[in-house]
Amino acid sequence: MSFFQNLKLFFEGALDLKGRSVHHIEEEARENMDQFMMLCFSDLLGVDMPTTYYALELLPYLGEDLEDWLLRMDSKKSVWESRGAALDMDP
Amino acid sequence: MSKILFFGGKGGVGKTSCSSAFAIRHANSDKKVLLVSTDPAHSTSDLFNRPIGSTIVNLRSNLDALEIDPQKEADDYISSIKDHMSQIISPIILDELNKQLDAARVSPGSHESALFDKMVDIIISTSDNYDMIIFDTAPTGHTIRLLSLPEVLGAWIESLLRKRRKSVALKRMVDRIKGTEDQPDPIVEILSRRRNNLEKAREIMMNGDNLGFVFVMNAERLPIEETKKAVDLLNKYKVPVKYLVVNRILPESDDLFWKHKKSMEGKYLDEIDKSFSVEKVFKVPMFIDDMKDSTIDKMAEYFKDS
Repeated sequence: MSFFQNLKLFFEGALDLKGRSVHHIEEEARENMDQFMMLCFSDLLGVDMPTTYYALELLPYLGEDLEDWLLRMDSKKSVWESRGAALDMDP
Repeated sequence: MSKILFFGGKGGVGKTSCSSAFAIRHANSDKKVLLVSTDPAHSTSDLFNRPIGSTIVNLRSNLDALEIDPQKEADDYISSIKDHMSQIISPIILDELNKQLDAARVSPGSHESALFDKMVDIIISTSDNYDMIIFDTAPTGHTIRLLSLPEVLGAWIESLLRKRRKSVALKRMVDRIKGTEDQPDPIVEILSRRRNNLEKAREIMMNGDNLGFVFVMNAERLPIEETKKAVDLLNKYKVPVKYLVVNRILPESDDLFWKHKKSMEGKYLDEIDKSFSVEKVFKVPMFIDDMKDSTIDKMAEYFKDS
């Protein structure tokens, strides 16, 4: 193994760039998913939507996440909190 | 000639009688006509004195009819979701979700949505088989909300699809890094199907002058005012108002009371002629008999110029 390959492996291990980027993508995917749920089921949070009925047919695919989503929405205290967490670079 | 006609108007002005008579008039001249009642009161079956249900029945030669029952449509929709859900969701949370669905079953918005869904379905599935589809709708406000639904729904589906596609793309990225298999997304499929149906119905309705609205009113102040507002709104949604029907025009009489009524009616008729610009205004007299299967043909004659 060449010196450069070792060097590369060292930095990969030390910084875990791959893990971090996966983490960031997953974070964004989660955020995106929460927004999706909001568009579908904000009715359950007391926001009246004329489209609620049509979202019901997505329930078989979203039902598993619904409870967690409701809990997350309930416990969200401030938008800054989540923004701050997004800026935190440590995975 | 419009292919899809909506009959609207204030409650009690005679929408069901007029739409039935109109349907009979066209069925008589060798057009295949489907008469669809969306009014929850379902006076169509009372008028023809026979049960009409949620499946198409034949009333006369060339004339079929159908009554949409929003409650039944909503129930069917929700039952099918429950079935689907019981196959793929763990029984532990199934109970809670079923409760949510049962709550939606009785929520007031559901009926409207179910009704709209069924109308889209009818337009897509039957427009090839009929020369004319006539919708006898519930009172004005209802119908106008219904017409604004596609816009709201279209925008909603678009944003959902965008979000979902992004989610799927993000998930693919992670999967690719982690090396797991990706699968077609059922949510995108469902949403796309719904959007395609909406598009199809819109295409059929917006094709040429396929879509027309007919307003039924009486020569009285309140129905005229309501019709004015409704026509303005329909213009906003670019739905052309083709015809007006002035129903229950009074007979001449020597009685003072009726003479006075008749002269007022004359003024209102002038006002109607002046304030609306439509293809034609049909003036239908008040009939001595109740409108039923045997007497409706008399009314149908008044629509012969349509």
